[in-house]
Amino acid sequence: MTEDQRYDVVVVGAGVNGALVAKCLTGRKLRVLLLEAGPAAAWTFDGYVKRLDDFYGVYAKGPEAPWPAAVGAPQPDTHDVRTGGGYFVQKGPHKYASSYTRYAGGSTLHWLGVALRMLPEDFSLHSRYGRGRDWPLGYADLEPYYRKAERELGVAADVADQAHLGVEFAPGYDYPMRRIPPSYSDQMLAATVDGMRLSLGSEEFALKIRSYPAARNGIPRGDFVPDGAVDERTDGQALGRDIGQRCQGNTACTPICPVQAKYNALKTLAKADHRYLHLVTQAVASRINVDPASGAVQSVEYKRYTEADSPRHTVHRATGRVYVLAAHAVENAKLMLASGLGNRSGELGRNLMDHPCLYAWGLMPSPAGAYRGPLSTAGLDDLRGGAFRARHAAFRFDIGNDGWHSTTGAPDSTVADAVYTRNLFGKQLRRHLGSNLSRQIRFSLAVEQLPSADNRVTVDPQYLDPLGNPRPVLSYRIEEYTLDGMAAAAEVARKVFERAGITDCTNPDEGTWFPSVEHGDEVFHYHGMGHFAGTHVMGDSPETSVTDPDQRSWEHRNLYVLGSGSFPTMGTSNPTLTMAALTLRTADRLVAELAS
Amino acid sequence: MSTGVVSTARLKALLQAGVELELSTIPPYLCALYSLRPMTNAEASLVIRSVVVEEMLHMVLAANVLNAIGGEPHVADGHAPRYPHELPTGVVLHLLPFSREAVDTFLKVENPAHPHRALEADHPLLAGRNHQRHRARCLDVDEGFHPASIGDFYHEVIRELEAAAADIGERTLFCGDPTRQVTRDYYYAAGGRSILVGDLDSARAALNEIVEQGEGDMGAMFDDDGDLAHYYRFQQLRDGRSYRRSDDAGAPTGPPVEVDYDAVYPMIANPRSEEYRVPGLQAAAAGANRTWSELLLQLDAAFNGRPAALLPAVHSMFKLRDQSLVLLANPMPDHPGRNAGPTFEWDPSARAELGMRL
Repeated sequence: MTEDQRYDVVVVGAGVNGALVAKCLTGRKLRVLLLEAGPAAAWTFDGYVKRLDDFYGVYAKGPEAPWPAAVGAPQPDTHDVRTGGGYFVQKGPHKYASSYTRYAGGSTLHWLGVALRMLPEDFSLHSRYGRGRDWPLGYADLEPYYRKAERELGVAADVADQAHLGVEFAPGYDYPMRRIPPSYSDQMLAATVDGMRLSLGSEEFALKIRSYPAARNGIPRGDFVPDGAVDERTDGQALGRDIGQRCQGNTACTPICPVQAKYNALKTLAKADHRYLHLVTQAVASRINVDPASGAVQSVEYKRYTEADSPRHTVHRATGRVYVLAAHAVENAKLMLASGLGNRSGELGRNLMDHPCLYAWGLMPSPAGAYRGPLSTAGLDDLRGGAFRARHAAFRFDIGNDGWHSTTGAPDSTVADAVYTRNLFGKQLRRHLGSNLSRQIRFSLAVEQLPSADNRVTVDPQYLDPLGNPRPVLSYRIEEYTLDGMAAAAEVARKVFERAGITDCTNPDEGTWFPSVEHGDEVFHYHGMGHFAGTHVMGDSPETSVTDPDQRSWEHRNLYVLGSGSFPTMGTSNPTLTMAALTLRTADRLVAELAS
Repeated sequence: MSTGVVSTARLKALLQAGVELELSTIPPYLCALYSLRPMTNAEASLVIRSVVVEEMLHMVLAANVLNAIGGEPHVADGHAPRYPHELPTGVVLHLLPFSREAVDTFLKVENPAHPHRALEADHPLLAGRNHQRHRARCLDVDEGFHPASIGDFYHEVIRELEAAAADIGERTLFCGDPTRQVTRDYYYAAGGRSILVGDLDSARAALNEIVEQGEGDMGAMFDDDGDLAHYYRFQQLRDGRSYRRSDDAGAPTGPPVEVDYDAVYPMIANPRSEEYRVPGLQAAAAGANRTWSELLLQLDAAFNGRPAALLPAVHSMFKLRDQSLVLLANPMPDHPGRNAGPTFEWDPSARAELGMRL
């Protein structure tokens, strides 16, 4: 085993949380070792373009297509959900249908870029509605860090659109960039849907098609300078940085923005002070060693591989004053469980959540310009909050600009249907495709899920990866609260379609395969949103939580565990902005502690 | 007695010539860029792209200075460049596919210290009937002024600005409407930022930016950020070898730079749409010229009080690329071994149609 020199902080994971903490700490001249399990393929523009070329070349353009796993750092793959194979060991009863990416940059390499704040009521779900848990923090505690996170990630939005459902902004504040212009279909939908009234139980709601905040480059406000592509070449030949300073509407945000106009964590990492940062990629943290008497972490062991296609590796040990796990909700929990860390509350690995998501798709009454613009620019989020949350889950709709691509594999499947089923050719075929493709519209119905002790990550010595590290064993059930939310969401989608004159074509049997769950007479086909959360929940007491409100382990005081795994509940916002805000808050505390 | 009227008239003519000069360098770079076959010549593509966006910035900066003194920068109609095109340096710009010849020309364009040499007496441009329309306007602003280089041209503009400010006062000289300036809201990603011009200092800054970006300090290969100057990046393409930091200019010793001159669509030199005999090529060329003309009209609008016209201009750029690729990918039946290409000709009918929408 090779001993590394001692650092101020050893950080595990170079995704958004690891990058943010590395940038904050090195900015204060603290020496950081950053261990990343995966490769650093996108660290230079050349490297990124190679990933892009590979993506163009493959037929199946799933979220993982440009980001194949290294043997030493396997990752879940959405195709595996169907086959039951792959990295996750799924114990059921339902399939956990999301994936993540083990690369420097993490899953921000293929996220959509939605950067919503959580609602104030999301932080106190239990005291307000008797459901889930309360956070040990409130919206007001995080608000300043939301502002910081919006600047770090480069979020484009207008406060005028976002100040609703109790979300308040500091006086005079607006987002660093103006909102991304609404797509043509957003505008068409707004013309018919805005002002539509509907009720959930006894509550009345008025709907509005609303742009949502996106970590995607638009027109800057004030002195903000949008970050273009990452190009960390040191030979004076970096030319990629000029690219991607504005979104070009390539409609390929996931799995890979061709120009990096969308935020990825490497943009943050590139701005860390490299004099104090030691980034080691292809280095898989495999064990946390603890002093049995004090509980203090003494070192992190990691396995380093040089070839992405081979399990051959060497073992190293890194030491620091403080240790930070920022490896992903599942990987953090897995590493802590595999290292036998303290688990007084019994909550470690439990409360695994996602936003199980249904699709609704149809044809707009007239051409709506599908397949243009970012994958999604607006949504319906009026039903993210309300008293109905005492009874069933809240939900949020994304409105797609990519036709039926995600639901049926269009446009290819639309062409195949026209040729093989409808026997169209020549002018008729062109007319059919011209009319059909541009009218395609898709809603994603993302539904809230509550923390549950039975939904969990565990490790089992009989399931190991090629490096001998444990594979995550998942138990996952979608409970009544969420199923009732799915039913309500599907009903609202039907009403909105009707109001907008959309011909409902939702038919999971003809769509792309997704796992299903039964609810009474109904069968819901759902997919994951990649919103893993809840595996190392934060709280006010070591009896009921894994970390304190600063994401500091109750039982190992020089260990911080970052990310959406700390979330007690997740509401309906995608977790990235909130975990970035939490990380920036923790980084402030770390700097204060280490400076003293 | 003040000579203000006279001196700003010449200044405006000089700056308008500057706008056209920068515009004229763009199509040759675009031809080389679009002629690269997809997924090949990654390095050449990056270098050419980075230069062409700088030329666009230079055009915006020259337009901002002209607007600042109450002028009206124009790029459409008779201001659109024609190829071959003679620059003040004596360099003649051709529309060429990516090739050794094109790289040699770019090296001359990127080196404004390139000494002026009059065209040889037998140069075909001189024999043509319309030589006047194929040369940079800055050669003809007035009879007594013959800039020896592009840097020389802009230094003359700066001297003239200083003289005019001393003559009629800086306030009077910079009488332009500030809302006509193109700001970074609409101009971005060009290895530099748009500079708002409202006085002598900002005008100097804008024009010096043009000269420095083009010219660089020919002594220093790497700039303050540690980036290699464009001139040397073209040298790397020419020599097929990259520079190390310790290398002397002209003698790169780093790893090889891969350049594949065969992975290029073999476009004919200086194509003209009237040469296209096949209906398909005629239609494609007409479409590309229409888009080019729309783009110029959008730029013209952006320089004349509607900077937001740069937003749809981005779409026009993509459209122009796609239409150019259609031409580039198609052989010309009457020129064996050669393909068609974008002709960058002004389409007079574009104004009537787009004018309504702009």
